[in-house]
Amino acid sequence: MKKIKLTLFIPIAIMLAFLSFGCAKDMGKPSAAAKPAAVETQKQADNVYTGSVTGKSNKAKTVSIQVGQGDAAVTHMLKFDDKTTGLEFAEQGEAAIITWEQRGEDKFATVIKPKLAKLPEGVTEIKVDELFKLVEDKSPITLVDARPPFRYNPAHIPGAINIPVPVLKEKGAAVLPADKNSLIVFYCQGVT
Amino acid sequence: MTTENAGLAKKLGYTNVRAFLDGIPAWIKEGYPVYASYEFVAKGNIVLLDLRKDGAAIEGRIPRAVVVPYSTLEKRANDIPRNAPVVLYSDNEEEVLNAYQDLLDDGFKNVSLVPGNYKGWVDWQYGVIVKGPIFSNEIRWVRQLGKGEVSVDEFRKATKGELPDVFVIDARTDEEIAEFGIFTNTVNIPLDEIPKRLNEIPKGKRIFVHCSTGARADLAYHELVKNGYDVKFLLLDITDPECDCEIIKPKLN
Repeated sequence: MKKIKLTLFIPIAIMLAFLSFGCAKDMGKPSAAAKPAAVETQKQADNVYTGSVTGKSNKAKTVSIQVGQGDAAVTHMLKFDDKTTGLEFAEQGEAAIITWEQRGEDKFATVIKPKLAKLPEGVTEIKVDELFKLVEDKSPITLVDARPPFRYNPAHIPGAINIPVPVLKEKGAAVLPADKNSLIVFYCQGVT
Repeated sequence: MTTENAGLAKKLGYTNVRAFLDGIPAWIKEGYPVYASYEFVAKGNIVLLDLRKDGAAIEGRIPRAVVVPYSTLEKRANDIPRNAPVVLYSDNEEEVLNAYQDLLDDGFKNVSLVPGNYKGWVDWQYGVIVKGPIFSNEIRWVRQLGKGEVSVDEFRKATKGELPDVFVIDARTDEEIAEFGIFTNTVNIPLDEIPKRLNEIPKGKRIFVHCSTGARADLAYHELVKNGYDVKFLLLDITDPECDCEIIKPKLN
């Protein structure tokens, strides 16, 4: 146990909206729900699925991946075999890019690659120890938990406020600090 | 969503935006504490533990809290359901942080703390307390069914043939069924064969699907939803006594 002294309890904004967004699931989808049908058709044509892995069965030798968000989400199940590469990236909740081919009646995954987070221009990453130090020292930061309320409410970092993506889209700067030069740190369930 | 939010903040003109990409899992892995919101402490489907010494809870405690003084936590750990969100509070910050770490070390995955400990709750504007004698220190928790899950009771009825509008699928492999048998009123379609055997699955019926633990059944569930079926899956280790479904044993030859 590291020496921890945390008495930071910033009043917490409780969001009552129920929004069904995951975190890793968010990758690979720059504009939410924008023309999902068209994107889907194109991906089908390219034999590539980009989305969030929903599960893998070593017994059945299948991997399932969810493409798209919310109501437009479609989960595809693919078979795999000994020649499939990158199976280590097919873990539940991970963002992945799966290339597949049709063999008879079955779709086979041939290559599985992790979908890595791309940071927007001018945004830098912060690691866990540095963030802990800021929290512990009660530095004047705005810490934002970007997950939906059903994930935020059970367990969040002390002092974090809850602003899921749809809320920030709708309300903009009204839910962020007035001082545009102050430090804001965003986090979610993590993408690896 | 971290990156999406960070991008939005940049567009709004914020100059000092950073992303904690490793997120909550990395934070918990380091043993750093996470907190529940007060609303969740008040209403969530949780196991709430009061770690204070005997007596303190009689003077006042958070509703639904079970009194487990920290000195007894190790002994009581086996009484805590492993899947339950566990929320802890005390009147001693060091103690509650130690308890948090103890439970993580013991393999608990969903542990969090009450912000500000007991005092934080009392100071919260809606933080009601219960006073008086404590009649039970039993830890009770019932898991709520997740999306797409069927209850064991309803599933069992279907395997007994009591639900004629239900078609039950066993998604395990042929080998597993040859070894362990199959439930009554159940059809075997291994997970990987479901996409090409949809013509064997009636559209007009509700579909229940199971496997050995629920993992493959969950994947089968998504595959069938995609194909327009009204489907639920059983999230249960079928060797669990709770299952109690009749099995047609494999013939020994």
